[in-house]
Amino acid sequence: MNTTQQTARVGLFFLLGVALVWVTFETLSDGKIFAERTHTLIAGFDDLKELKNGDDVRQAGVKVGSVQLTRLAGRRAEAVLQIDPKVPIASDAVATIVMSGLIGGNYVAIDMGSNGAPSLPDGAEIRTASTPDLNTLMSEIGGLGKQLQDSLGSFSKAINGDGKAGGGIIQKLDKLVSDNSSRVDATMANLQEITGKINRGEGTLGKLVNDPKLHDELLAAVTDIRSTAAQAKEFVANAEGIMDQVKSGQGPLGTLVYDQKSADDLKASIANIRAVSDKLAKGEGTLGKLINDPGLYNSAQVTIKKVDRTLDGLSDSGPITAVGIVVNALF
Amino acid sequence: MKQINAILEGVGSVVQLLFRSLSYTGSLPRQGARFIEQCYMIGYTTLPIVAILSFFIGTVLALEAGYAMQDFGAKEFIGSLVGLSMARELGPMMTAVLLAGRVGSAITAELASMKVYQEIDALTTMNIPAAKILVLPRLAAVLVMMPVLIVIANIVGWFGGSVVARYVSYVGISPQAYFAALRHYTKFKDVMNGMEKAEVFGFVVVLVCCDIGLNTRGGPREIGAAVTRGVVVSLILILVLDYFVTKILL
Amino acid sequence: METSCSKTRNPFTGAEANAVGVKVDGVSKTYAGTEVLSNISFDVLPGEIFVLMGPSGSGKSVLLRQIAGLELPTVGTVRVDGQDPSLEETRDRVRLALVFQAGALFNSLSVYDNLALYPREHRSGTEASIRERVMHALRILSVEDAVSKFPSELSGGMKKRVSIARALVMEPQLLLYDEPTSELDPVMSATISEIIATLKNEYSVTSIVVTHDRSLALTIANRVGILMDGKLITLGTPKELAATKDPALVDFLYPKIDIQNPRFKKLENQKTS
Repeated sequence: MNTTQQTARVGLFFLLGVALVWVTFETLSDGKIFAERTHTLIAGFDDLKELKNGDDVRQAGVKVGSVQLTRLAGRRAEAVLQIDPKVPIASDAVATIVMSGLIGGNYVAIDMGSNGAPSLPDGAEIRTASTPDLNTLMSEIGGLGKQLQDSLGSFSKAINGDGKAGGGIIQKLDKLVSDNSSRVDATMANLQEITGKINRGEGTLGKLVNDPKLHDELLAAVTDIRSTAAQAKEFVANAEGIMDQVKSGQGPLGTLVYDQKSADDLKASIANIRAVSDKLAKGEGTLGKLINDPGLYNSAQVTIKKVDRTLDGLSDSGPITAVGIVVNALF
Repeated sequence: MKQINAILEGVGSVVQLLFRSLSYTGSLPRQGARFIEQCYMIGYTTLPIVAILSFFIGTVLALEAGYAMQDFGAKEFIGSLVGLSMARELGPMMTAVLLAGRVGSAITAELASMKVYQEIDALTTMNIPAAKILVLPRLAAVLVMMPVLIVIANIVGWFGGSVVARYVSYVGISPQAYFAALRHYTKFKDVMNGMEKAEVFGFVVVLVCCDIGLNTRGGPREIGAAVTRGVVVSLILILVLDYFVTKILL
Repeated sequence: METSCSKTRNPFTGAEANAVGVKVDGVSKTYAGTEVLSNISFDVLPGEIFVLMGPSGSGKSVLLRQIAGLELPTVGTVRVDGQDPSLEETRDRVRLALVFQAGALFNSLSVYDNLALYPREHRSGTEASIRERVMHALRILSVEDAVSKFPSELSGGMKKRVSIARALVMEPQLLLYDEPTSELDPVMSATISEIIATLKNEYSVTSIVVTHDRSLALTIANRVGILMDGKLITLGTPKELAATKDPALVDFLYPKIDIQNPRFKKLENQKTS
């Protein structure tokens, strides 16, 4: 082969190589061989997190530049952003560092700013806002979970009592019923008297019974009454049990009947209960507040909203894993 | 003991040859024709085999990656895997291995036969150093041609991967997605990294093969032995250097 | 012994330079424990033709390599024009050419490039003047037809002549020949003898010729040294050698085939059986 041809081939080959290197460079690093005119903005952050040189700068998700340099400047970290000069950045636009996925890949997001605001000149400093990164988010969620647990704990304490403060709501209700059983008893007696009168056909009800037109209505009413009667029977049974106890001198009623002194106590305690229930109604005390205080309700709602927002924020960055992590943190 | 001595002797001889050759660097502009000839041998004629091999390395990488990743839905990363491993490791390594087999053996054979048939002695009596006209143009040529070979190997390998990604049923990724992933994770720095590696490999292969050729002693039978030794030593050096160069460049 | 003039003249340009002498002093060479040369000393005067003779394996070629500076003697020194020939500076100053037995032409280069390599590398003259010198040298050895051929296309004798032509192009001050007439027909042998003699007579080029061609040796030599088993057994003018009565030398210089030798007997028997 003659030498000229060989030289030509080597030359061609070499040029091809240079061209391919250039193409590779252009494709892989978005070409900076011929330094294009760029706009430089400086963004100061407390923490650049995992931002690296060459990461994207995006406005509304559209790439408008890249991170040229990251550096420490005194007590803060600065990212030098190279922005396409054709894209004006509003002077009140805010830059944030955003994760584009759970496994790495950060970029700087710049919002649109307000319409009509003047655009930032070359070399100006852009306003920044810090966004929680995954780690701070996780620790916040952990704290939130603890708060929730605490408030749920005090709620159940209020209901069940913690043994020291003399019983929760349930116990108190129980006591209320058993303490007032004599009045219930009287009520029952009245009821018995009324039903006796009905049986005998006295009064309005007696007439009702004898009026065939109203039979059907009455029947329905009787069904209701029957169920009421069943309940009443139960009450009576209770009352009978209580009466037995009273007769044998047991229980608070027994002492009430046979012991003058304890009868006084009982009166006092009933007065107490009344005071408690009054307080409840007026919204005093923890339980009362829980039931009546709109502020507490609001703050619970705020807490729940916060959790909600956190979840939203997380779902932006990776729905499945984020929920998983939140669930783990909570339970 | 004898072996260690032989290795030390070899290292010393290679280093001496390197410095002797470099001392004639100034004469390179006047050796244009020889340089072009060596470029032709090292670059142009090696291209087809480098291209074929790289294409199939790319396809195999994509195939294996696709097979391994299909179970956990990371097929989108095939592009980045092929891109990075071609650029950083397999491109330079396989090209250097081919260079050892194709160019290294030819260099050793040529210089060994020149030595055996006293052509080297004739050069010495003419006061024309072998390092100047035989070794230096080859070293320069390999430095110039290696990046060209590497960039072609990379691109052909990436393309091979995209073909598999597109047409193999269980991979089935569009070339756009493949190249997007490739571009996202492969930086030009990685390609440069691979080229630097390849330059080291190519330079060492050529230098060692020259040295072994020039140190051949005895009759024509020794030419064959020298070629074998040249290729084997080159391959070992490529793999050993690969570790250290990678570590330095990381 | 003839005295020689102290200047060499460049065969092409006519430029004069000092004639070069060689001093071999107590040279011994050992390869892997085997002594190939043992304690050899002689001087070659500037402008002299010195012929080294000896049977095969007597170490003639090895000695020539020591003189050319291709190898260093194990013991002793070689001085060309008072300096060590293995040093680059010496070869830079003293143009020294060695005609190899097998030619040692560069196989990858054409005959023309083979001859032009030296002047090109040492940048002596323009490409046109180099071409003139090359063609002149080829014409002297009547191989100008081979100018664009490659060494692999040449016969053994042609290679040898091209190789001598290549040495001539170097315009040597000291020319070393390793078996210059082997593989050559008698006519060409005579031409080579003439060339060596002409170089000496007209240009005072110092020559050392290794050969076992007795007639060549006795025709051209100023002095002849005979090597046997690595030892220089005699040194003298051709006349002195021709008059020698030493039986070993007579056997070497005038070998006779002894048909009573048992080895020949054996061959005869094999033939008849």
